[in-house]
Amino acid sequence: MDEQTPPPPDHGSTPPPPPSVSGSPTDFLKGVVGKRVIVRLTSGVDYRGVLSCLDGYMNIALEQTEEHVNGMVTNRYGDAFIRGNNVLYISAAESL
Amino acid sequence: MDPSSTGIQEPFDLIRLSLSERVFVKLRGDRELSGVLHAYDGHMNLILSDVEETVMIVDAVDGTLEGQGTVAKRKMEMLFVRGDGVILVSPPSRM
Amino acid sequence: MLIFSVFKTLTDQRVTVELKNDLSITGVLKSVDQFLNIRLDSIKVLDEARHPHMMAVKNCFIRGSVVRYVQLPAEHVDTQLLEDATRREAANQSKR
Repeated sequence: MDEQTPPPPDHGSTPPPPPSVSGSPTDFLKGVVGKRVIVRLTSGVDYRGVLSCLDGYMNIALEQTEEHVNGMVTNRYGDAFIRGNNVLYISAAESL
Repeated sequence: MDPSSTGIQEPFDLIRLSLSERVFVKLRGDRELSGVLHAYDGHMNLILSDVEETVMIVDAVDGTLEGQGTVAKRKMEMLFVRGDGVILVSPPSRM
Repeated sequence: MLIFSVFKTLTDQRVTVELKNDLSITGVLKSVDQFLNIRLDSIKVLDEARHPHMMAVKNCFIRGSVVRYVQLPAEHVDTQLLEDATRREAANQSKR
């Protein structure tokens, strides 16, 4: 994956330190909300879209979603809810 | 933090806003549904009416082109769908 | 809890339960529990030729987890009531 490590969360007025290799998974997830992402399901299907939000089960809401199967676009959705148990990973598709 | 254009804060908001609307549901086992959403819960158990189910049947012959498998369709008036089979729910497009 | 309540209101109605192994059983809904386990009476298997071992079975208990669909009698489902109850439950969920 080509994503950069997300910056740690903003603590009030402290300036965010430069991106580093630290940062928890939670920090990553907070950082990618509103960004273009690739969601891969355990079935191998990819969903590319803008991450609207997600919850603790990794249920995901995506906007402007394209469904990719073996590199081909097989569907488009304005909005899509993905049930968390199907998610293998979430990858940032733009720099954070 | 920055709620997107649709103003939803958690994924389930997307589903809540689709109540009484026709939704597309992708299920495990190469099944898809289109139906009017009347109820759901935290497991994504669903109750839909006026449902059309599409089952993609993969041809036994391998090497066929994508999307060339046959499909079986059927209609059901009122249907409970168990949440563990749900992969994706898409509301009617508001793009 | 909401879906459990819906099934309770449908006791003594005829429903068709479709299992994840493609077996479809029609019968009178006798009872349901919080796991959505289901007891059916006066059952009839849709494709008896394919499931001859089921012919003598008159009632059964179905573990909730093996259910794919349950076809409900539409005339006994108040969709407006369902939507209102769903919104109420959703509001309660997000409160905690």
